[in-house]
Parts: sequence; C-alpha cells; structure tokens
Amino acid sequence: MQKAVELRHVTRRYGKKIALHDVSMAIPKGKAIGLLGENGAGKSTLLKLIAGIMKPTSGEIKVFDETPNWRIRERIAYLGDLSQWYKFQRIDEAIQYAANIFPHFQIEKAKEYLDFMKLDPQRKVEELSKGQTMRLQLILCLARQVDLFLLDEPLSGIDLISREKIIDLLIELLSEREVTLIISTHEIHEAEGLFEHVILLQNGKVVKEGDAEQLRVEVGSIQKVYREVFQ
Amino acid sequence: METRSVGPLTFTIDFSIPLYEQIVEQIRHAIARGEIALGTKLPSVREMAQKLKVNPSTVVRAYLELEHDGLCEKRRGQGTFITTSEETVYQIKRKLANEALEAFVQTMRSLGIDQKTAQQWLKEMDWECKKR
Repeated sequence: MQKAVELRHVTRRYGKKIALHDVSMAIPKGKAIGLLGENGAGKSTLLKLIAGIMKPTSGEIKVFDETPNWRIRERIAYLGDLSQWYKFQRIDEAIQYAANIFPHFQIEKAKEYLDFMKLDPQRKVEELSKGQTMRLQLILCLARQVDLFLLDEPLSGIDLISREKIIDLLIELLSEREVTLIISTHEIHEAEGLFEHVILLQNGKVVKEGDAEQLRVEVGSIQKVYREVFQ
Repeated sequence: METRSVGPLTFTIDFSIPLYEQIVEQIRHAIARGEIALGTKLPSVREMAQKLKVNPSTVVRAYLELEHDGLCEKRRGQGTFITTSEETVYQIKRKLANEALEAFVQTMRSLGIDQKTAQQWLKEMDWECKKR
C-alpha cells in the first residue's frame, strides 16, 4: 500500500484536554477515505495536523513521506470552518480572488464546477444559503490541482440537495484524476458509496479502520460498522 | 435499498455487501437474461459512478472483473462493451443456473428430501409461479 499520510505516536493537547492520543496509522494514497466519529472525537484536529495548520504536541507526522512544510502544503487543499472572506463579493469575484491567493488554482475548472453545482456566478456570496455557501467553498477547494484534499464536515448541517450535489462533485473529481480525499463526516449514509477506506475515531483514538469493501464483508454497511463501534 | 437506472441497466444497491460484487452480479444477470443486447457499450465509468453514487474505482473494479469473465471487453479509447459471443453468454447462464441448482439441492437435502421426491416435486412445480 502506498501511503499519503503516516502518523507515529501522534498526540495533540489543547491545554489539559487531549484531542488525539498516541495515534499511529498509515492512510492510503489515491483513495477516498471516510474519517468518522462523533463530535469531539478528534477528526478536525487530525485534519489540521495533516494540513500542517497545527503541529502535534508529540509524535511524528509525514505527508507524502515528508514532515509537513511549505512545499507539501502546496499539494494540499483543506476545507475547514466556513470562511467569511468572500462575503461581500459576487461568486465570480470570489473565484477570481481564490485564483489570486491559492497555489495551483484552475479558474476554468472552478467555472465548470460552478455550472455542475448549479450556482449563478452573478449572485452575491452573502445571499447564499448555508448549503449553497458550502457548495461554493467546496468548488474553491476542489478546483485546485493538488494531490490531497482534506474536507472537514462538508455534509453537516446543510440541505439535502446541497449534500447530494456535493457527493456528485466529489464523484466527478474522482472520475477526473487520482487524488487522495479525506472526508470527515457523521452523515454516513449518503457518502457510503464514496468511501474506499474508513477510519473511526473515538475520544482521540483510532478504534477501527480498514478497507470499506472488506468491512462490508465482515460487518455490513459502513453505517452498521459505525453503529457497532459507537453504540 | 434503492433502485437506480443507468442507460439500459437497472441496479439495486445494498450497502451491506461489497458494492463492486453487486455491480458485477447485476450486469452478469442482465446479460444472461438478455436484457442488454450483445455488443452494447456499457455506460462510462463516470456515468455509472454518478448514477449509482459510488466511487469510480468501484466501477473500474467491476468492469475489470467482467472483462476477466470474458463477458465484457475494453476497446482502447472507446469504452467497455458487452461481448458479442453467444457461447460466452450461454456459459455464464449455465454457471448461474448451476449455482442456483446447487443451492436448491442443498436446501432439499437439509430438509431430508431425496432426489426422486425432489425431482417429482420440481415437475409439479408451477413454473410460471402464478399461484404466488
């Protein structure tokens, strides 16, 4: 197995609180990975560590065989908390802005995705619903020609149509080229078919991980795997 | 479980069993039943993945397996096509029927029914399943 990410005894604390506790694992390259767990399990922390936005308190993390550095960060696109940067812009202006600030941003690809996601480029960002805002954020993230995408809860708290469109766009991206995609979510059902590998986090530890099809043979649906672990 | 149509094919995907196996099985059955004409082009990997809401690599894996069976063939730059060989289709049909028969025999044996009785009952069976 080729590795996109490797963690060795990674611990991350916020003051006294331990967000990740002695996590060691390898995340496969070129696959769609579901990072699953309840709120506060450590999913966001793990993604931030991989993105290089945050450093581990102890332990070692490698992304494409290197300790996260500026060169590696250019190969990663991270979608975190909803950004407010674009609020006063129109969608097309936000795209132009993203093209100016993000490395490897493909503006034509972004316009293509905009059409795919049924967003009108003339609309103002501040007028968009939460789901539409997430669609736009995702476009700005996926339009980058990078090797690793980290999406923190792209399906949470938004409308059904937006969730479906987001899944469709992810499938579109995966059809275009080989990338590593790590998605944290607790909306498992809709993304079931997307995952090739899943990692279940609980209280800062990996409680289960493996190939999705293999888990289907051993346990059943990923939703069932999730239920068995968290019940 | 949801039923989804992709071009000439219809799929019912159950997330509790491996997805690629279901795609393979359902295409295999569609060919065996003659629901999809020989030589037909299968939907592209992208279309199939989009309609079934599965990872494109799952579709690639399913198509590879069908190629391995000889039921499909990949033509460079054109896509994947259903075989034109009636012989191959007959063999697959035979194989699927054998699997069903083996399961039938096992069930009969587990009920303590001998071959003769089972054959007799099979003869009396309403083949069109109208009474159900």
